[in-house]
Amino acid sequence: MSERVRSLKARLVGTMALLFLAGTVVMYLAARAYGLRAADLSYDRLLAGSALSIAETLSMDGARVRVDIPYAALDMLSAAPEDKVFYRVYGPGAKTVTGYEDLPLVPAPRPRGEEPSEVPAPRFFDAAYRGDMVRFVVLGRQIAQPGMRGWVWVQVGQTRLAREELAGELVLGALLPIALLTLLSLALAWFGVGRALRPLESISADLAGREPADLHPLRVPVPAEVRPMVHAMNGFMRRLEGNMAGLRAFIGDAAHQIRTPLAGLRAQVQLALDEDDPRETRRELLKIERNAARLTRLVNQMLSDAMVMHRAEARHFEAFDLVDVIKRAMREAVPMSGDVPVGFISSVMRAPMRGDAVLLGEAIKNLVDNAIRHGSPDSLGPEAEVEVALHAAGDGYELTVSDRGPGIARGDRARVFERFERGDTGAPGAGLGMAIVARVAASHGGSVALEDRDGGGLVVRLTLKGMQ
Amino acid sequence: MKRRWWWLALCLAALPAWAKEYPVRAQVEGTLTLYSTLDTAVFEPLVVDFQRVHPGIGVRYENLDATPQYERFVREEKAGIHRADLLISTSMDLQVKLVNDGYAARHVSQSANALPAWARWRDEAFGFTFEPAVMVFNREAMKGRPVPQSRAELIDQIRRDPAFWRGRIGTYDISKSSVGYLLASQDVRHSSEFGALVEAFGDIDLQVEEHTATLLERIEAGELVAGYNLLGSYARARPGSERNFLLVYPRDHTLVVSRTVVVSKHAPNPELAHRFLDYLLSVRGQQVMAARCGLPPIRKELDGVYERLGVNESQIGVLRPISLGPGLLVYLDQEKRRQMFEVWRAILGGKR
Repeated sequence: MSERVRSLKARLVGTMALLFLAGTVVMYLAARAYGLRAADLSYDRLLAGSALSIAETLSMDGARVRVDIPYAALDMLSAAPEDKVFYRVYGPGAKTVTGYEDLPLVPAPRPRGEEPSEVPAPRFFDAAYRGDMVRFVVLGRQIAQPGMRGWVWVQVGQTRLAREELAGELVLGALLPIALLTLLSLALAWFGVGRALRPLESISADLAGREPADLHPLRVPVPAEVRPMVHAMNGFMRRLEGNMAGLRAFIGDAAHQIRTPLAGLRAQVQLALDEDDPRETRRELLKIERNAARLTRLVNQMLSDAMVMHRAEARHFEAFDLVDVIKRAMREAVPMSGDVPVGFISSVMRAPMRGDAVLLGEAIKNLVDNAIRHGSPDSLGPEAEVEVALHAAGDGYELTVSDRGPGIARGDRARVFERFERGDTGAPGAGLGMAIVARVAASHGGSVALEDRDGGGLVVRLTLKGMQ
Repeated sequence: MKRRWWWLALCLAALPAWAKEYPVRAQVEGTLTLYSTLDTAVFEPLVVDFQRVHPGIGVRYENLDATPQYERFVREEKAGIHRADLLISTSMDLQVKLVNDGYAARHVSQSANALPAWARWRDEAFGFTFEPAVMVFNREAMKGRPVPQSRAELIDQIRRDPAFWRGRIGTYDISKSSVGYLLASQDVRHSSEFGALVEAFGDIDLQVEEHTATLLERIEAGELVAGYNLLGSYARARPGSERNFLLVYPRDHTLVVSRTVVVSKHAPNPELAHRFLDYLLSVRGQQVMAARCGLPPIRKELDGVYERLGVNESQIGVLRPISLGPGLLVYLDQEKRRQMFEVWRAILGGKR
């Protein structure tokens, strides 16, 4: 929330406004081009009509070109009432017959005076003349008289005021509705977004009115677009509730599990204090030391269990090499083993996977620890070895930890994964180790199984997914 | 700047006969220069009243004929000498050509917008009078004869009694009088009977003059019986006009000329020029013009069309104002003029 995000409304309406603006600019350019073309087309017809009506009157009087400009020729151009009119009749060659002698010439490709082979179509062009932009038309008539042949040209021009005005009207006519529509759309968007966001307000009202411990799912009716968010929130609350239940259970368990050994310890200390015989006192103290160690282990396991529980929920997954994790876990677990030999066999050099390295490390440590602890101390030797083995299996891995202990009876195997349950071994432990392993395996989408080992002992088989 | 003053000084020193100075009587704002086809005496009341409103503005009024005025102005402009602020002319076509050729400045004002559309072009040329072209008869000479009320009736009378009319009808010499040319060209455009009329004129030794005043004098003297296509305002302005003249507005159609004013694009005093134009087109200016200059005003607010002309509606046919616009350029075309003149000379039987 540290980053300020503009309101949805402003963002939506702003984006729309930009889009519309760009659209309007494009529309304007297109409409203007079209408008000018349309205006030119209609007024060019008049201009050509004027030039034609002048050309109609061309005649030869001996060697002289005669022209009798009809009144209508220039008067019809006053359809554009404010526009100036210029004309010129010239030819053959550049000789002016009548009109404005200094009118701009037809631009290339046909220079004045060149004789085309057939009757040319009227040519239109724009040129500046006496400070105005003028639209000109030029058309030619062939004359043939004894001793005189050639082309006579009629050029009529008109300033562009009316054309620009018509083009402007066309553009306005096209753009005005669009502009109005744009404004209307923006206004609708502004109010529409407000309406659309109303369900969010009801959600926040629901949340704000709740008791702190009320984690029931939201029951507000929401539109389809907001439903995923509500789903996510409900899911989040469900996890939160699960977490809190776990925490409550843990605290309850911890209180129960720690209170009894602590009371025992205290009674033993009392006994030791009341003893006068130093040898007896020493015996009591040894007992106290053993019980304190057990309690320490219990507390450690409980904390480990809590940590596993937390991390399994949090799912901080990343890529790591399982071989490294196994080796590190063994280094941490093995020094406590005393004389029990622990071996590690791996059929792969590296075992890349995704998951929580800390959790897996904890699980493996627990397995190795269990194996060392439960492997009977009086059957030392090659048969008593604890073996950790890693193999690739399918797209994942199979990790086995084997010991030479008494094993677990088939009927009891399901029970050892429950918390505070121990195998009937009498060995020190809180009964959390296998529960932790099971939880870690589950959180990684794997599984754990117990089997008998050939030649006696237990095999714990942990199946894990690979990189995929 | 220096050069302009030098010119002004020179012009003042050699004040031509047609120019009249109306000096300033208050703090000097500047001196306007007007080129005008209107007689100085006719226009004077307007200048006097204008100076009453704007005492700081001097006016230099130069009276010229239409074509020389046009030629002089264009010559000066081409030489880079900007003397005239405003140009007033009866020759609507020449004024339109000034606008078309880019010599005129834009003028926008409420008064200008009040003008009829035909009396405005591009907000640059403005007609400020409303002057029908009429047939003027000598009242005495027509006694006992039916007075022709249309072109057709005039033709008819000439055909019936050519002896009576011979040498006794006058009109403008279109090769010299530009308003005469303008009117003739509009007749060609509008009237199917004009050809027959000109033919009839040719048979009876048509008299032509350059100026309206000469024609009116000759009619007054009884030397002429009728004048064709004369500006009625001139006739009515003459003393004893009621007694001497019979004015007929041809029923088939009566052309209406409007004296046209243009502000020069390079006016030395553009601000004063626009003020004068605004005054000329204002209700006050139009009232003064109607009352003291004898020129019929164009502003509709003043009076009905017919009251302005001092006649009954029943006496008048279709009024056909000549509208300012590029159509007028046609008759200024060199070829067109040459052909008109050729026809004109042929009719006059090689007289001119």
